[in-house]
Amino acid sequence: MATLLINGKSRTVDADPDTPLLWVIRERLQLTGTKFGCGMAQCGACTVHLDGQPVRSCQTTVAQAAGKKITTIEGLHPEGRHPVQLAWVAEQVPQCGYCQSGQIMSAAALLAKNPNPSDAQIVDAMSGNICRCATYPRIKRAIKRAAQQGG
Amino acid sequence: MTTRLTRRAFLATGTAASVGLTLRFPLFGAPDAAAAAAFDPSPMLTITPDGLVTVHITKAEMGQGVGTALAQIVAEELEADWKDVRIDYPTANEKYGLMLTGGSWSVNWTFDALSRAGAASRLALVDAAAASWNVPAAECVAERGVVRHLSSGRSLSYGEIVKRVPITKTFSEDDLKKIALKKPADYRVVGKWTPRLDIPEKVTGKAKFGIDTFLPNMAYAKVAYPPTREGATRTAVDDSAAKRVKGYVATVALPDLVAVVATSYEAAVKARDALKVTWDPGPNASVSTESIFAKFSQAKDDPALQSWHEVGDVKTAMGSAAKRHEATYMTDYVAHMQMEPMNCVASFKDGVFDVYTGSQFQTFAVGTLAAVLKTDAKNIRLHQHYLGGGFGRRLEPDIMVETALIAREVKRPVKLIRSREEDLRRDFYRSATLQVVRAALGADGKPVAWDNTLVASHPGRRWGPDFVDKKGLDQFALNGADHVYAIPNQIVRAIPVETGISVGYVRAVAPNYTFFAVETFMDELAKLAGVDPLQYRLSLLGDAPRLARVLKLAAERANWGAPLPPNTGRGLACVSAQEKKTPTWTASVVQARVDPASGNVQVEKITCAVDCGIVVNPDGARSQIEGSLLFGVSNALKERGTVANGALVQSNFHDYQVLRMNEVPEIEVHLVESTEYPTGLGEPGTTTVAPALSNAIFAATGARVRQVPLLPDRVLAALRAKA
Repeated sequence: MATLLINGKSRTVDADPDTPLLWVIRERLQLTGTKFGCGMAQCGACTVHLDGQPVRSCQTTVAQAAGKKITTIEGLHPEGRHPVQLAWVAEQVPQCGYCQSGQIMSAAALLAKNPNPSDAQIVDAMSGNICRCATYPRIKRAIKRAAQQGG
Repeated sequence: MTTRLTRRAFLATGTAASVGLTLRFPLFGAPDAAAAAAFDPSPMLTITPDGLVTVHITKAEMGQGVGTALAQIVAEELEADWKDVRIDYPTANEKYGLMLTGGSWSVNWTFDALSRAGAASRLALVDAAAASWNVPAAECVAERGVVRHLSSGRSLSYGEIVKRVPITKTFSEDDLKKIALKKPADYRVVGKWTPRLDIPEKVTGKAKFGIDTFLPNMAYAKVAYPPTREGATRTAVDDSAAKRVKGYVATVALPDLVAVVATSYEAAVKARDALKVTWDPGPNASVSTESIFAKFSQAKDDPALQSWHEVGDVKTAMGSAAKRHEATYMTDYVAHMQMEPMNCVASFKDGVFDVYTGSQFQTFAVGTLAAVLKTDAKNIRLHQHYLGGGFGRRLEPDIMVETALIAREVKRPVKLIRSREEDLRRDFYRSATLQVVRAALGADGKPVAWDNTLVASHPGRRWGPDFVDKKGLDQFALNGADHVYAIPNQIVRAIPVETGISVGYVRAVAPNYTFFAVETFMDELAKLAGVDPLQYRLSLLGDAPRLARVLKLAAERANWGAPLPPNTGRGLACVSAQEKKTPTWTASVVQARVDPASGNVQVEKITCAVDCGIVVNPDGARSQIEGSLLFGVSNALKERGTVANGALVQSNFHDYQVLRMNEVPEIEVHLVESTEYPTGLGEPGTTTVAPALSNAIFAATGARVRQVPLLPDRVLAALRAKA
């Protein structure tokens, strides 16, 4: 058994300590906005925040996450209106949408740390997140838009 | 629904403007329809008493924004208020006709039929309102979801009509064809900026993909896959260790499938890893990239080569020409690498299979499932979800078959999720190819003869005899080789080669490699003739004025001919993709810089001009073109699937690399305004990138790279060959 603090709620799950956080979030707690893409921290689809830091939940164990504040896409903003999410709609970023929770979580973490990132800083922070539909130009635009609006 | 589509049915729907493809008229006006809860004028459309118009999207939503575009088409002629329009993705059903999403066909195949469905529904609603007021329908107009009688000022909303007024007007197939559709100049919804309906839930994590399905009492399955892609057989299974894993439920050992079922995903992984399966790897155990290309090289001279496309008399023209040229082009295996690994949830209860996934080809999936499970197609309910990337991967029903077989054995719902490694190893790749192109130039430098020999594996041969022609050739493994240049004598010969590596359809399909050869070779011929590549192409595009126009536009916007820094060059390519019958006229200029020391190529800018006829959703169109170009950059620069021991060598994104944000060039898209019948946008851009980039490398360095991907060592080899 493990107790996790996810999106402000305490949740107890029956999972071994070495279970990847991803599978607990997705398949036990059914917070399915966090996606499985590679299982080896190569694609970023599973990105969540751990005490505000972006982490790949496929490479984070339940034991590592216990006692920390876990935020998933569902908990980023109560109404789904985080400046990054609004910018994502304004720029019509998603295509298939599968990677976008991870992209948004990476972008939100970047802007929390650096409210006005340069192009190079955006590229640096976002190059760990793969989008096979290649919505990259719009992701970049949306991050700039969110930055302007205080994301 | 039949197990196999007949080729005729498949191809018949492939022709443009197939009116009535999925609409069965007359469908209006059963008298009780008036009292019914909703108005369903066609299988594609429901209007409910609350005034909402739901367009049933039978095409897969995999990021192309198809749901919004198709709904716009209906709303335009229906005169619906866009804010009342909703979409859903119905469970597969024969009434929807052929459920297939691919080929950049979605808008092209449905534009006319959906326009007429919308128009007929509007006419029926107007007729009903007019009858209720006892006035001629001609005195009434429909606008933004309301029918008005102009002189009396009376009005009824669509919702009120559905609720209160009998709708009795019927349409025969002929009546439908006679409906006068709007002129593009009068469009209010089509061609206007319209935010995509699927985007809001894709930024909150609420969008449901197949992998997000949960059923009560659901267990998790993992399959033990064989060591080779094709031809392995299982000789023994020992599940004694698997049984000791906490959460183990069952072992499923069928003739072609070994799986373990457990109560959680991670328990299923542990139990499967504990399973001892002994395999006979079969005849392909030593298949490698080298052996495959050696086989291709032999096949190019095989007397069994078949003529696929032929114009004039190549042999005679080739013999009498002033100049001749020959080049060999090769491309490597390409994987789909859609972000959502293949997965499925299935349950079997009371003889019925409920299957939950995202499918690009429901008709094929249901037919295949029915055949494998030996049941009637009506017992297969295929529930559609968003696709976490399709790119052709989700045309294949393999994951559904595995999941349904397991669910039947364990008598409870199961979820099967492939790991990325399994997803990549069990992919159906874009075939590696070898093409030999020969041409002869006349005294004016223009080609008088063109001879292309195309060696590849053909996916249609695996799908069955209905998917190949009488010669056993899959047209979708060849198209594009029948380019639109005015060359009086042409022949394309082809031979399908089995390699032991399964091939399928990957975004932009054959035109990825056919246009790579055609457009790179065209550059080589221009060089031989001593003519600028732009002018050379234009001189041969007399039969394709729309292509000439986009080519000129792209060149002009890219400052074709303007000086560039050293080791930097521009290359262009123009295509009639995705198919010659339904072409989206597309031209790209790629600007790239080559590092002569390392062979590294950096794509700096792509300028793309596109004429797809009527553009239904302009921003969605741009999004598709941007994405298709970048998919092309990824293919052209990075993606190389190699084979050893009968299977793909690569296993995940670390060794099968795809484009990331740090490699994205500047992109400029120009859409030509047009009132021509619309064609598709998901793929054509992709096909321009590899040839335009190869041509840019040549322009930058004088080195010709004829192998995709255009890897640094290949660039270096070409630089050395030049020196």
